Amino acid sequence: MGNRAAQILLLRCFILRRCCEYVKLLISQHCFERQVCQTLFVTQVGTSTSRNSKILFYYLILITNEVGVKSWFHSCTVVPNLYKCLSTGNSVVMGDSEDFWNQPTRKSQMVLYICVALFKTFCQSPEQPEPDLSFKKGIGRSGSLLSFKCKAINVNNKFHPPAVVGVMGSAAATSKLLGLPPAQSIAALAIACSSAGAPMANAATQTKPLHMGNAARGGLEATELALLGLEGNTQILDLESGFGAFYPDYIPRQLADVNPASQYRWVLEDQNIAQKRFPAHLGMHWVADAAMEARAKILDKHTNTDVSQIQKITLRVPLSKYVDCPVPVTEHQARHSFQFNCCTALLDGEVTVESFSKSQMNRSDLQEMLLKVNLENPQDNHPSFEKMYCEISVETTQGETFTAHCDTFYGHWRKPLSHEDLLKKFRANASTVLTPDFVEGIIYTVDNLDSNQDCSMLWSYMHFNKQHMTHRHEHCFSLSV
Amino acid sequence: MLSTAQRSVRYLSVISAPRGFHKSALEVAERPSPEETVTSSFGRFIQSVQPRHLSPTVLQRSKRMVLDSIGVGLLGSTTEVFQLTLQHCQQMYASDDISFVYGRQGVKLSPTLATFVNGVAAHSMDFDDTWHPATHPSGAVLPALLAISDMLPNNSKPSGLDFLTAFNVGIEIQGRLMRFSNKAHNIPKRFHPPSVVGTLGSAAACARLLCLDRNQCSNALAIAASLAGAPMANAATQTKPLHIGNASRLGLEAALLASRGLEASPLVLDAVPGVAGFSAFYEDYAPQPISSPEEEDHSFLLERQDIAFKRFPAHLGMHWIADAAAIVHKTLVGLRGGSISPNMVQDILLRVPVSKYINRPLPESEHEARHSFQFNACTALLDGEVTVQSFHPETLQRPELHALLSRVRLEHPHDNPANFNIMYGEVEVTLVSGDVLRGRCDTFYGHWRNPLSEESLQRKFRNNAGAVLAPERVEKLIEAVEDLEHLDDCKPLLAQLQ
Repeated sequence: MGNRAAQILLLRCFILRRCCEYVKLLISQHCFERQVCQTLFVTQVGTSTSRNSKILFYYLILITNEVGVKSWFHSCTVVPNLYKCLSTGNSVVMGDSEDFWNQPTRKSQMVLYICVALFKTFCQSPEQPEPDLSFKKGIGRSGSLLSFKCKAINVNNKFHPPAVVGVMGSAAATSKLLGLPPAQSIAALAIACSSAGAPMANAATQTKPLHMGNAARGGLEATELALLGLEGNTQILDLESGFGAFYPDYIPRQLADVNPASQYRWVLEDQNIAQKRFPAHLGMHWVADAAMEARAKILDKHTNTDVSQIQKITLRVPLSKYVDCPVPVTEHQARHSFQFNCCTALLDGEVTVESFSKSQMNRSDLQEMLLKVNLENPQDNHPSFEKMYCEISVETTQGETFTAHCDTFYGHWRKPLSHEDLLKKFRANASTVLTPDFVEGIIYTVDNLDSNQDCSMLWSYMHFNKQHMTHRHEHCFSLSV
Repeated sequence: MLSTAQRSVRYLSVISAPRGFHKSALEVAERPSPEETVTSSFGRFIQSVQPRHLSPTVLQRSKRMVLDSIGVGLLGSTTEVFQLTLQHCQQMYASDDISFVYGRQGVKLSPTLATFVNGVAAHSMDFDDTWHPATHPSGAVLPALLAISDMLPNNSKPSGLDFLTAFNVGIEIQGRLMRFSNKAHNIPKRFHPPSVVGTLGSAAACARLLCLDRNQCSNALAIAASLAGAPMANAATQTKPLHIGNASRLGLEAALLASRGLEASPLVLDAVPGVAGFSAFYEDYAPQPISSPEEEDHSFLLERQDIAFKRFPAHLGMHWIADAAAIVHKTLVGLRGGSISPNMVQDILLRVPVSKYINRPLPESEHEARHSFQFNACTALLDGEVTVQSFHPETLQRPELHALLSRVRLEHPHDNPANFNIMYGEVEVTLVSGDVLRGRCDTFYGHWRNPLSEESLQRKFRNNAGAVLAPERVEKLIEAVEDLEHLDDCKPLLAQLQ
């Protein structure tokens, strides 16, 4: 065994041992006494029992009663990758800062995790399918589904788009990865459709990330059921009572044929993605960029932006109830608040991951400034990520007015992040849980994804979490209070 | 019994922090007491219902629903879709020996997966109960409650009364939610109702059985809303049973997540302009708060609106046409004696409501057959009745049946809307000889206006349960359900299902 493999093995054994110790700790803490309400506890362990040294992941589900405890330890069984998708999908979406498409949804994250989970479970043969293609196909499918609908171009007002098209994209990607024939792929889409849809009201709440996780797992589950032979409506995308149920006006179009003679045009080629610079609803980025520009103008004239000097702030933004939150209390609300993001950008010159922490949110100068914000909804400012703009006017006590306007924020598909900035964002995000060499390893592997025959290292990197065990300890103690 | 559980739940439950509201919601929430919102009224209701609020009528009717649902679930465990779903759960998830699975002695799954699979069984043959406005209420609620009961430790199983209370909460919530929309009174077009109200009903029932506090109950409903909604197009396909399975399972998940402190929209049931909550599933939405069970004028919907139980496994609409065709069959047999031959028949006219989804001239699968006026009319015409066996492949393919099917045409009289409270079924058979025989059914036997007798219900149960359980177990189940409100704990019920 090579040095690296030995290291990996040791690390995995270490993790497994830590998990066992942790379980014993939980037991000794009487967290498992005969209690009514079950606590779902999901954790992950890597182990190298596989012959060709691929990683098998266990997802151990712990239920706080004696039967649950007995079933805690599993040996070499099938990977419950569905739970993985759910938990992984969740932890990613919490920050609300992943890439963002034209039609508002958040496909790539869930599709990526689906591909990873599935690939891991099923790809034992030397002939490896291409996760890259599945990934694109999943995105493409989601994009095609969205472009069926004119109304989908605007921020959807009834259903949260990732919950509608995301599950279909997930089903498409997983079907491709598992090599399902067309009839079964259609079945997978049909079955997935029955898991689609979540109302917008849960946006800006703690539940919103579950929309992503559930879309991912729903699509995966649909494919697995289709594999077993379950059938749904073969006309699912054609019918108003099918996928059309999620839209008020539904006009589906056929996907073009993909064959060796013709060149298939992916939606992604015509319509790029937006990538967020900070973890908030996309609309916040226009506001932040405009506010930052206004701040620069103020600083040009004065040495600092003193809150007491500002008398009134006017924001001209599209009308959208979901992101109009004058005084947010939770981080979820803050991520969906024009007012909050404007004030943060004015005060700090930027909005970052930290901006949504409790201490930052509770700052007195921020709280004070929030009260000075007025929203206006000009008629020409459409709630569409293709067309909207943000204009800010800051009036000072001395009677000066500073105005700034943002049509296209940096990170929008019209003004994409540079490669360096994208990497910078990735490094900042990933290094909160991974060590530097794994962070760089992922960057390298993704960069070479299309030329790599074996990309199993990609997910192996993602499982060596620095602070994984510590966080779980804290969580258990807080439960027992 | 449940007090230990209650203490434990409070031990684990999270006290939710005060929440700010979005601007649009501020207008609604400006009134001083949070009781005013529809969502919080539902949360309060779920938490505060007690066994004493259940009237004898409600108790009796809900026990009938429990019995029928178990029977139907047991029979459903013999179907292909059940087997497929079970296989999926066993293969794709880690094994977890907690909650029983219908018709598979010794096989257990995690509570949510057992709920899923048992819910699929309940709806697999479209044999489960139907309410007005239209939904299949029991299949979405019962599997989750049974799974929770299995999950609870031996010394803190719920009592029969607690079980029935939670069950009725689940049913009541579904009924209330359906009344938020006028369109719900007719056979639905966009979303399959069990996947919409069933999920929230399950969440409510589970929240009750798990003794969540009122905020957690509201959150359970709100989380469930994000897990609700499946389009009608998958009805009459093999996927339809999963709608009930998922409704039950996801409702349970929502309650469990809420118990861990997960929060969602506090106004999910309210009509907030510009913010689509539960209203996303309806075109016309007019929510009403639910009054406290303590109030004088409160009564459970089940008190005033009984359930329909099916006599054979097909869409409810089929029962009218089958009963009407059975009348013609009887007349024909009386006239000619012996069995019916298609050669006698020149033309068959059915007068039925308009509904694309149950108008199938030549059904090709058992699922389609269960949703075909034409098929059920012809079967009843030939055999005098429709039974479980009518949908078996051999019976489906009968040439004499196909011969009759080719002679059927439909009419949709204006006075026959697609509404289970008002519709009727009429069959007019023109014989080759020129005679015209008619049969009409306004209220089929099993409808809430003409409920199945105790004997008939038990006979149905014995036929269903007897397909997979030994006779002694079948009888013990009947006894256990009959006596449910007197049981100190529901172990006698669970024991027969393990």
